[in-house]
Amino acid sequence: MLRASLRSYLALGQQPSAASAGRQWHGIQQIRRGYADIKKPSLADSKPAVLPGSGSSTSPQPPPPGRPTVVAQSSLKTPTPTTPASKTIPANDVPRTPPPPPSSTIKAAQQTPPPPPPPPKRTGRVRRFLTTLILLTALGFGGGVYYSRINDNFHDFFTEYVPFGEDAVLYFEEKDFRKRFPVVGRLSRPRDTGDQIKIPSQSGVSWRVAEDNKTETGRHANAVKDTPKPKEVAKVQKPKPAESVKPVEAKKEPAPPASPLPKSPNAPSPAKPSHPVTQEAIAPAAVAFTAPDVDQPSRFPPEVTRIDPINIKDANEPLVQDLVKILNDIITVLNADNSNAKFSNTIGKAKSEIAKVGGRIQALKDAAQKDAAAQIISEKEDFDRAAKELIRRLEAEMANQQSAWQEEYQTERQRIKESYEQKLKAEIERAHEVNEQRLRNELLEQALEMKKKFMADIKDRVEEERDSRLGKLTDLSKTVTDLEKLTTDWNSVVDSNLKTQHLHVAVEAVRANLEKSEVPRPFVRELAALKEIASGDAVVNAAIASINPTAYQRGVASSSQLIDRFRRVATEVRKASLLPEDAGVASHASSYLLSKVLFKKQGLATGDDVESILTRTETFLEEGNLDEAAREMNGLKGWAKTLSRDWLGEVRKVLEVQQALDVIATEARLQSLRVE
Amino acid sequence: MVETSIPPPPVTARPSKPVSEALLNEKWDRCLSSLLIRSSLGLSFGVVFSILLFKRRAWPAFVGLGFGAGRAYEECNGSFLRTNREGIRTQRP
Repeated sequence: MLRASLRSYLALGQQPSAASAGRQWHGIQQIRRGYADIKKPSLADSKPAVLPGSGSSTSPQPPPPGRPTVVAQSSLKTPTPTTPASKTIPANDVPRTPPPPPSSTIKAAQQTPPPPPPPPKRTGRVRRFLTTLILLTALGFGGGVYYSRINDNFHDFFTEYVPFGEDAVLYFEEKDFRKRFPVVGRLSRPRDTGDQIKIPSQSGVSWRVAEDNKTETGRHANAVKDTPKPKEVAKVQKPKPAESVKPVEAKKEPAPPASPLPKSPNAPSPAKPSHPVTQEAIAPAAVAFTAPDVDQPSRFPPEVTRIDPINIKDANEPLVQDLVKILNDIITVLNADNSNAKFSNTIGKAKSEIAKVGGRIQALKDAAQKDAAAQIISEKEDFDRAAKELIRRLEAEMANQQSAWQEEYQTERQRIKESYEQKLKAEIERAHEVNEQRLRNELLEQALEMKKKFMADIKDRVEEERDSRLGKLTDLSKTVTDLEKLTTDWNSVVDSNLKTQHLHVAVEAVRANLEKSEVPRPFVRELAALKEIASGDAVVNAAIASINPTAYQRGVASSSQLIDRFRRVATEVRKASLLPEDAGVASHASSYLLSKVLFKKQGLATGDDVESILTRTETFLEEGNLDEAAREMNGLKGWAKTLSRDWLGEVRKVLEVQQALDVIATEARLQSLRVE
Repeated sequence: MVETSIPPPPVTARPSKPVSEALLNEKWDRCLSSLLIRSSLGLSFGVVFSILLFKRRAWPAFVGLGFGAGRAYEECNGSFLRTNREGIRTQRP
């Protein structure tokens, strides 16, 4: 579908006429999304486009007839048929085939078989044409054959498509091949016949090693059997196994009469079958009988006599048995081979030899047995003698051992007896000693007891004496100890007194330090001393802990300093005394100005206003009542309080220190009171 | 008496911390200085403007002065009204 649409689109797009192209473009744009197979209306409507050259009636190559218009339209190169009227052109007006190109003439001639020779009655022109044609054909064929020998591709093409090409090429190849390899070509000729292959029965490996030697010389004892046809060979060889088995099984068949053939001097062993002597000996016999030719009357081959297998009486000897078996095998083989005539003499000799050997072996065996028996008897005697010797020696040994053991036993017994006696003696001595010791101990105990009793007696006496006279002495000592106790008590009292006194002194030192100093001075050293003296007094420790650390690190102001500072603070506070709650610049300025004209009060003024509070505070300060002064100043509010905050802090510190010192002093007094 | 070797602490108090009674005075000082500076600044601006733009009229100079003084007054008022901060200088702990 797509291709069709493309084709039409291309065909239309290449129309030279601009107007029609524009119209078709519209049509294409309208139905661009539709299927391409749909017949476009623009195609049907439009005037078919005309190529520049195709419109003229003098076209050199008018389109071939019979072609449908659609095909003509679809193809790009060929011009469209001019009008629908062109369909109605009569067929005989149109040329049948386009004029063939001149280059393809020879090929067409080659491909088509040459037409049969025309009748001679044709005109001279026709004849000349035919001869030329035949000549050309022959030339082309020959050239094709030659070229196909050179080029493989062309060879394939030629043999495939040109009639008789293959045969021709094959023939030439064969010829060439035979020229190059004449021998191989002859030998390999029957390869292609496809006949059944027959392998002669004599071929392959067999026990007859030297068979081909005879074939080479071409002299055989029985020439008839040498070249039988394969089928006959199979027939002849088949009964052989049955025959060969029979003589092996039945050894005691009577020997047949002597064979008419002359016997060979040597036994035909398979190790050396091609012995020259044997062959020469056999040769006259072999010459004696030859197979009759085809044209000669048929003859029987010479009679074949069988060699009897050997039989030996004392065959129970294994060695002899083996020998017999070997010989029998050879005989059976010979029998099977039907060549017994040649070997019967040899075999007979071998048989006798083997019998002799068997007899010799038997004799050897007997001698060996006799020897063995004699040896056994002598050995036995030796053994008996040795055994007797051994027994005698053993007995002597045993007697020796027994006597030695007895001696040993005696000495051992003696030794044990002595040791026991020694032990017994020692035991008895020890018992004696123990007994004596015990007796002595008892004596000592008695003496001790008596001494004790004596001492107790004396003591009793002395006590009695002492009670009467030393009783007073104990009273005296008691009173002395009482006195000592009293003195020690008094010592502790004095110590505690001293301690309290120290405490007093320390407290006084601190206080003096505070009061005397003009500028604030740290009194850490004094406080430390106080703590040292108090030595773990809970009250003193608590009092010291209650003091603000800055107080004793920096020192506290004296009362005069406090008053000085109060005066400064008071003027500032007075300036801000008339301020309202939220005071701006204006109210501050007015308060500053108006405070100048205020009257000052004196003494303990009554009232809650700032001026009276300040006056009261000053009075208290002058009296030295710091506590009350602080209380009064604490009652201020607003800016007045803010301004006096630092001074209040100072006063509080001083008050704290004073309070702590008071507590310590009280404690010291209490301690001094507690002593009594 | 036990000799303890504690070195004497520095007698001089730190000058940065303002004493409580001097709070208002400091504020006043600042207010006055700012009033002086700002009014003079305003005056100078006014004079310049009057020379450059207003053909040497007197009123721009007064207007400038008024602007400067007014601004100083406003700042001063704000500093006095600010109740949560008592002083001008604040001490950082």
